[in-house]
Amino acid sequence: MTDSERHPYVELIAREARRPVQTDPAARARIMTAVRAEALPRSRSSIWERVIAPRSWTLSPMAGSLLAAGLVGIGVLAGALTANRGGRPSVDRATLGAVRPPVSDTIVKFVIVAPNAGKVSLVGDFNDWDETRSPMLRAEKDGLWSVTMPLSAGRHLYAYVVDGAWRTDPSAPVIDDGFGHRNSVKLVAKGSTL
Amino acid sequence: MVPRSLGVAALVAFAIGAAPLAAQYADPYAAALARLDANSRFAIELVMDSARTVGLSDTTLRSRVLEGVQKHASASRIVESVRRKFAFLRTARTMLGQVSNEELDAASAVLEAGAKPAQLQSFKTRQKGREALEAFTIWADLITRGVPGEEASSAITKLWQDGADDATFHSLWNNVQADISQGLNPGAALQNRIRETPQRTVTPASKPPEGQEIQSSR
Repeated sequence: MTDSERHPYVELIAREARRPVQTDPAARARIMTAVRAEALPRSRSSIWERVIAPRSWTLSPMAGSLLAAGLVGIGVLAGALTANRGGRPSVDRATLGAVRPPVSDTIVKFVIVAPNAGKVSLVGDFNDWDETRSPMLRAEKDGLWSVTMPLSAGRHLYAYVVDGAWRTDPSAPVIDDGFGHRNSVKLVAKGSTL
Repeated sequence: MVPRSLGVAALVAFAIGAAPLAAQYADPYAAALARLDANSRFAIELVMDSARTVGLSDTTLRSRVLEGVQKHASASRIVESVRRKFAFLRTARTMLGQVSNEELDAASAVLEAGAKPAQLQSFKTRQKGREALEAFTIWADLITRGVPGEEASSAITKLWQDGADDATFHSLWNNVQADISQGLNPGAALQNRIRETPQRTVTPASKPPEGQEIQSSR
């Protein structure tokens, strides 16, 4: 639509709107004077306002990854602390009394002859039956594998894992393990050297 | 920047979620339980609660769970094994009264090997400070190696009543084990060796050795 096609009344309004406004040359100076006379707004908002004020952050992928790793690390650390201090096992043992005192006062040497073995480890109730915790070292000759273990006085059940197969100690008493196999028994101190 | 805010919130949530997860895997027992199905976990926790309720230490039962998981036993087998162990521990305490947890554990192993609860009765009355830890260990071993339960029971009980010390029980085991490994019948091996065992009078329990010492399992 062009100007010539408009209604005359509209054209009149448009022409009036286009007419330059005549202002007082001193008006700008007066306005600026009035503005400067006004007190400045407080440049600092309250702490609460700053806390709840929305804001946006930008993170590079590297910073984001570091932040994620840090948060996960905090989570893992908190988890480990929870397990050690407030976890059920600690509470239960504290309540009921541990079977074995926490301080190990006897060094026991475990030895097995396995000349053809490639990997031997010691497992027992003292290392949660975890075959990764107490790997045995092979002597230069004779096929002897050994490891020393600090144990508390009392009765311990154990076995050797020879290339993945669980074996009892031929030089120690045995009992059924409740799973169709056998465990060896080690009595520590109290005058016994089984 | 809503998506980034959401990302940060997700990271925080992940970190919070990782805490119990990390706690679970920092505790080997919890990690072992987590590898079982929900019904088995519930059944095992029931046994643990029962043990605590009757004042038994659950350390042995926890070790049994860990052992079963490490040996790749089925969940049902682990549950059954833990239940059996608890039952034997409770029976052992009924027969022996208040003894150390380790002695209770050793006595329960004797029952688990096949001894009758009444056969523990003779070990209830004892000289102060005397422990039957070694006697129970040898007893369970003899049954496990094939010595008839009655013969093993009467031999160990006789030695105990005669005041045999730990060295005597160990010597007996050593000799019987050697005979069995040479092909002798387990029952006959025990009978032969028990005749050779000297009778002793009851002696006071010796003071445990102090400091560190080296023992060899070989």
